[in-house]
Amino acid sequence: MVQEILQYLFSGVTNGAIYAVIALGFTMLFSTTSLINFAQGEFVMLGAMGLITLWKGFQLPLGVAFLLSTLGVAGVGLLMERLAIRTVRKPHPIVLVIITIGASILLKGIAMIAWGKDAHSAPAFSRHPPLEVAGATLLFQSLWIILIVVAVVLALQAFYRKSLTGKAMQACAINRKAASLIGIPSEKMTLLAFALSAGMGGIGGVLVAPITMSSYDMGMLLGLKGFCAAMLGGLGNSWGAVLGGMLLGILEAMGVGLFSSSLKDAIAFLLLLGILYVRPSGILGEKAIHRF
Amino acid sequence: MSVLDEKPLPLQTLLRVDSVSMSFGGIQALNEVSFDVKAGTIHSVIGPNGAGKTTLFNVITGAYVPDRGRILYEEQEVQGRKVHELVRQGIARTFQNVELFGSMSVLENILVGRHVRTRCGFLGAMGRWSWVKKEEVEAKRRALELLEFVGLVDFAHHRSEDLPFGWQRFLEIGRALGADPRLLLLDEPASGLNAVETQRLGDLLERIRGQGITLLLVEHDMSLTMGISDLIVVLHQGRKLAEGTPKEIQSNDEVIAAYLGSDRESFP
Amino acid sequence: MKQILFAVAVLTMGLTISQSYHLQLLTFIGIHTILALGLNMLMGYAGQISLGHAAFYGLGAYATGILTAHWGWSPWAALPVALAGTFVVAFLVALPMLKLSGYYLGMGTLGFGMIAFIVFREWSSLTGGDSGLVGIPSLTVGTFSVSSGKPYFFLVWGCVLLAFIACERLVDSRVGRALRAIHDSEKAAAAMGIDTSRLKIWVFVFSAVLAGLAGFLYAHLVTFISPNSFGFLVSIRIVTMVVIGGMASIWGSLLGAAVLTILPDWLHVFTDYEMVVYGLILMAIMIFVPQGLTRGILDTYERSRRKAFTTPDPSQS
Repeated sequence: MVQEILQYLFSGVTNGAIYAVIALGFTMLFSTTSLINFAQGEFVMLGAMGLITLWKGFQLPLGVAFLLSTLGVAGVGLLMERLAIRTVRKPHPIVLVIITIGASILLKGIAMIAWGKDAHSAPAFSRHPPLEVAGATLLFQSLWIILIVVAVVLALQAFYRKSLTGKAMQACAINRKAASLIGIPSEKMTLLAFALSAGMGGIGGVLVAPITMSSYDMGMLLGLKGFCAAMLGGLGNSWGAVLGGMLLGILEAMGVGLFSSSLKDAIAFLLLLGILYVRPSGILGEKAIHRF
Repeated sequence: MSVLDEKPLPLQTLLRVDSVSMSFGGIQALNEVSFDVKAGTIHSVIGPNGAGKTTLFNVITGAYVPDRGRILYEEQEVQGRKVHELVRQGIARTFQNVELFGSMSVLENILVGRHVRTRCGFLGAMGRWSWVKKEEVEAKRRALELLEFVGLVDFAHHRSEDLPFGWQRFLEIGRALGADPRLLLLDEPASGLNAVETQRLGDLLERIRGQGITLLLVEHDMSLTMGISDLIVVLHQGRKLAEGTPKEIQSNDEVIAAYLGSDRESFP
Repeated sequence: MKQILFAVAVLTMGLTISQSYHLQLLTFIGIHTILALGLNMLMGYAGQISLGHAAFYGLGAYATGILTAHWGWSPWAALPVALAGTFVVAFLVALPMLKLSGYYLGMGTLGFGMIAFIVFREWSSLTGGDSGLVGIPSLTVGTFSVSSGKPYFFLVWGCVLLAFIACERLVDSRVGRALRAIHDSEKAAAAMGIDTSRLKIWVFVFSAVLAGLAGFLYAHLVTFISPNSFGFLVSIRIVTMVVIGGMASIWGSLLGAAVLTILPDWLHVFTDYEMVVYGLILMAIMIFVPQGLTRGILDTYERSRRKAFTTPDPSQS
């Protein structure tokens, strides 16, 4: 029994780390621009497809393929902000939401043409044998995923704390008007936030590629779950995103293992409703929920 | 035209603010503030920015629940009651940064103001029974009357956000009157108005008082407040610094000291 | 007057069009119009977003499907039960949900919609699961069968007409004004004595019941339902109908429903590029006419007409 629970925990933490990166993408964009991007899941899909093409297809070294797909997806994020979001004349939130949905359909359509309707897979990052921990197996790929996510979180933290640009972005998040009054170029910050959050999605995709089948339509559910994770931790709070992602991953794995696999997809949304009823601002979020 | 069906006894206390305190985080926005508002008077609250004036308004209208203290309206405690319930009881307000229903016409804005004095619901609206039609006609008649009163009847069918700013203020007052209030709270009604408009506003406020409605103003514009107020409360850093007639306030040393250095010019 | 014109238009269309494919398409436009109308009351007029409206559409469809196909009820007995069921569920969902605002409400409704979808999919003993619920009977009146074709066209559009009248009366009433007031400024609406949370709950329930009615009509038209007709993408499509047609525009719902019903049909010519074109059209409409097609056309017309009106000078009155 203990062994089983440990096994669920391992797979939960692995999935949770991926949800956490996707949630970080949502949160980062939301705190700087108060926008929720429904194309975030599509960035994850693009990251996964990019990695498979560059690494398996073009035989590039893993590190290079990783970097190129992440940068590529960040570039798509930049384009989206420039071409679609910036050009809106009346930036009413519902209008922006529908534009991101349009973008998500567009990206999905492009991916279907580029990669076809078949599912693709990627090998594990390295060929180490799985580890045995107290009778449960821990795939080496899981260690890679957790390691990379921790590195990303630390890098992000350093960016916010140490660099001037990161501080400027935080200032924008706290009060956009005041930030622009003291000379922070808030438009550039929006652009940067789009690129960074798309890049986060891309990293999520790169990480998820070896542990699942990837296809053009994988983005929606991953995006929605990453979104649930962000809400769970507290939208706009980076640590909340990490916590929410982990919690979602672990509870999902436990739910599937201990109850029924038909529950799997429902757990994220049950948690979402639960947190909205009990504490809409999320576990680590601020009290105030007056955004929009 | 009578805005009120039954007038309250003159000079009775309509509203009592009783040692109300309220803080946000570490900031004490209101500190043991007390004063009485007598029915049928024009009462002003003045003070520099950040003195707690708007917080006081939000406490009286039910938007905030004070940390300590009581608000008595017509001898009943009202702190903690919902904003919309208090409107039914006769407390109406306007906002510092005019909050009209911009996409709706001038007339419709006033009709929304009549909300608490009408009662048609979902079924009534869809069924459009005869009493609903009658109610609608009556509400429109009253709304036009109010538009006449504030001087906007010619613009009844314009979109409210198309009106010049000064007129929007008058419309907002008309909308608040739609609820047949006994106490009308105006949050900086003169801000953004030019001299002529401020003059007209003063006249309008006098006429409203003439209908037996009690007025409580938060105001920056000293010429307006000093001219029309019966009593003035001075707030400073959340505390009541002074209270008295305009004359008394003008010669109050503490008040002058509080205003010195910040904004001496505007104090006549 | 408008309603009479509308009824005449429906009647002539129903009598002149004989190609069953076109009738079918028009019938679907009618069902989608009812969906869009309901959501428009919530979103366009009261300004509250719902990203899970397909759940109520599905609830209406599955309720009548289960009652008639499994338990052998008459559809006419199932109708009030389906509507009442939708009513109750919507009320229970709205009670805690509508305390949320903005994105949070959107996410809450999204979560509810996903859960409803998963229930439709996983409760297979009742719903037939992924393979769907078969054997839903067609409607009959006495011995006269109201199956697809002209009779169903008239039934659906009769319902559309009734829904139009109900919504139009609602908009032009004390309730409609209060809804629009909430949209423009919730703070000011409360200061007018409007019980905003209560009203939001009722308009949510109202729009859910209309979606339930659309679900009933859909189920007895196609006689086979499966979860994918009520998933997240369908919720999004209903939202899109409202926004593209024009928020806070009753006739816009008809336009939006028509565009989004005909568009995918027409996009089939693009085969693999269908999704790309669909996404591009969606984005383009929102970027260039964010107020929706109906409003966009009306506004341009009004602006050219209104030039005569000069701003009044306050000092001269």
